[in-house]
Amino acid sequence: MATLLLLLLIFLPPFDAKGRVQPVVSVTVTPDTLLVGDRIHCTITVQHAEGEAATLEGVNAVAIKPFELISSKRHSSAAPPGQAQDIFELQLALFGAGRQPLPPFTVLLRNSSGGVTSRVSYKPSSSVFVRELTDASMRDLRPIKPPLTPPIPYLLLMPVLLGAFGVGGVVLLLLFLLKRTVRNSAEKVDSSQVAQRKLRKLGSSLSAGMPPHECYEELSNIMRSFLETHYRISALEAVTQEIERDLKKLGVAGFESIMNLLKQADLVKFADSRPDVEESRQSLDKASEVIRSTRKSPPPAE
Amino acid sequence: MQHAVELEELGSQIIEASRFLEQAEEQLAHRVVGQLEVIRRVFIAMLVNGHILLEGVPGLAKTLIISTVASVMNLKFQRIQFTPDMLPADLIGTMIYNPKEMEFYPRKGPVFANVILADEINRSPAKVQSALLEAMQERQVTIGSQTFPLQEPFMVLATQNPIEHEGTYLLPEAQVDRFMMKVIVDYPSYEEELEIMLRSATTASKPPITTVVEAGDIFRARALIDRIYVDPRVQRYIIDLVVATRNPGLYGMAELAAMIEYGASPRASIFLLLAAKAHAFLQHRPYITPEDVKAIAYDTLRHRIRPGYEAEADNLKSDDIIRQILQNVQVP
Repeated sequence: MATLLLLLLIFLPPFDAKGRVQPVVSVTVTPDTLLVGDRIHCTITVQHAEGEAATLEGVNAVAIKPFELISSKRHSSAAPPGQAQDIFELQLALFGAGRQPLPPFTVLLRNSSGGVTSRVSYKPSSSVFVRELTDASMRDLRPIKPPLTPPIPYLLLMPVLLGAFGVGGVVLLLLFLLKRTVRNSAEKVDSSQVAQRKLRKLGSSLSAGMPPHECYEELSNIMRSFLETHYRISALEAVTQEIERDLKKLGVAGFESIMNLLKQADLVKFADSRPDVEESRQSLDKASEVIRSTRKSPPPAE
Repeated sequence: MQHAVELEELGSQIIEASRFLEQAEEQLAHRVVGQLEVIRRVFIAMLVNGHILLEGVPGLAKTLIISTVASVMNLKFQRIQFTPDMLPADLIGTMIYNPKEMEFYPRKGPVFANVILADEINRSPAKVQSALLEAMQERQVTIGSQTFPLQEPFMVLATQNPIEHEGTYLLPEAQVDRFMMKVIVDYPSYEEELEIMLRSATTASKPPITTVVEAGDIFRARALIDRIYVDPRVQRYIIDLVVATRNPGLYGMAELAAMIEYGASPRASIFLLLAAKAHAFLQHRPYITPEDVKAIAYDTLRHRIRPGYEAEADNLKSDDIIRQILQNVQVP
């Protein structure tokens, strides 16, 4: 229960022996169950004769342990004719454990000149239950949040990251340049050497009885492969006219001889021309000479 | 050796027989500035009985080229402006009632000519396009119950405007396929345009065109073109190119497969060979080389390849696809 009304209504005889009106005291407290250190709200209502004022005694910090007075407030409210009503709002903190009875207190009634006209001791019969602080109750009280992780200082890391990228980029560039240099030098040597080796092999095949028209077809392939690797033009997928255009653009040495060889091979391949063995051998010699001459004049720089 | 002699002889005959084309080119140069490639494509189509689809923005002398070719070659020329309200009868002709003799007789339409300029073919509805394309294919027209063969040589040059599509009827692929070539007519060069301006900015009438070619010259050329030697290597190269448009993965162009919705039909192989032969004829050669095939590959294939969705997203046209194919298929 959020709110518990503890009512203790003491019916005092409305008049004492001297014919004066007796004060009527009532106490309410909320909540009835709480944790150690929590606060309760206690309301004490005193109804008394008109012309008197009520004060409380015994609600200081020492007297009401384990309660501790946090604040108190007094105000008056309307009452039946000939009577007055004072209300005391007390806020008390609790530091004990288990069931705690409310502390006793004394109501003093004073007349207009400040003299005590009546003194009523009062012991409330109600109590509150105070729960001890355990791990479970602590979690109920304040759920434990996960530990905070500090934010990553990206701005501070940026120069480090940029530096790392920069170093990586330079290393890759150096590797690429090194690889290209190695490959270029290898190709320069290889393309002409490979072509010469293939031409020698083709010459042997011709001597062994290879038909001249097949020899020309192979010669055309060797020349195109050589031009493709040596001058970096797509000679294998290009027609003779396209190769002619590319070589002219590059200003290749021995251009005329290369084109003559390719055109002669085209005649054999596409016009069904039938050269004899001697013509084929001459063409092979010519091709070998052309390839040898390109070694003296390196391919134009890209 | 015998074959080499035959080819040599054929070569000299070709030189002799192709002279009329040089004369025609000379005459055309009096009337048309530049556009030499377009003119040569028209000659190629004429030599192998093909039809051409010309595409270009207005004002690039498409009509002038065609009408002048017809005049130079002493051929009957008809220009048909295709419009949305046109009917097949406006093209092929219809049966007319003769009240005097109380019978119907056929009135032949404008399709009965040697050179037909189908201007803005995509402006007419499908039934008119079909009527023309059927005439192109069958080379005969049926009016009523009578069938009339079309005159030879018979060539249709259809034009369409690539930038204005509102109110047009797109030619279906099956019908576009019947055109041997689709030629793109481009703007003239700076110097050519200057020449065009100086020649045309006059009120004087144009000098008359001299007829230098007879239909017989064309038939003789056709007979020689049929004899042009095609090596099996070139035959295979043609097939390689056409197959590569359908299955580029076979030629190491797997990435191109997604770019092509559909490739060229077997008709492309036929037209590629025919056009390559005519190209070799124009070069005075009695045999075909892969260079002849490459020279006419764009015009013969561009309307037979439909770029796919991915190609359109990458702004790739059919010409770009053909370029990649030509660069990757090995030449014999």
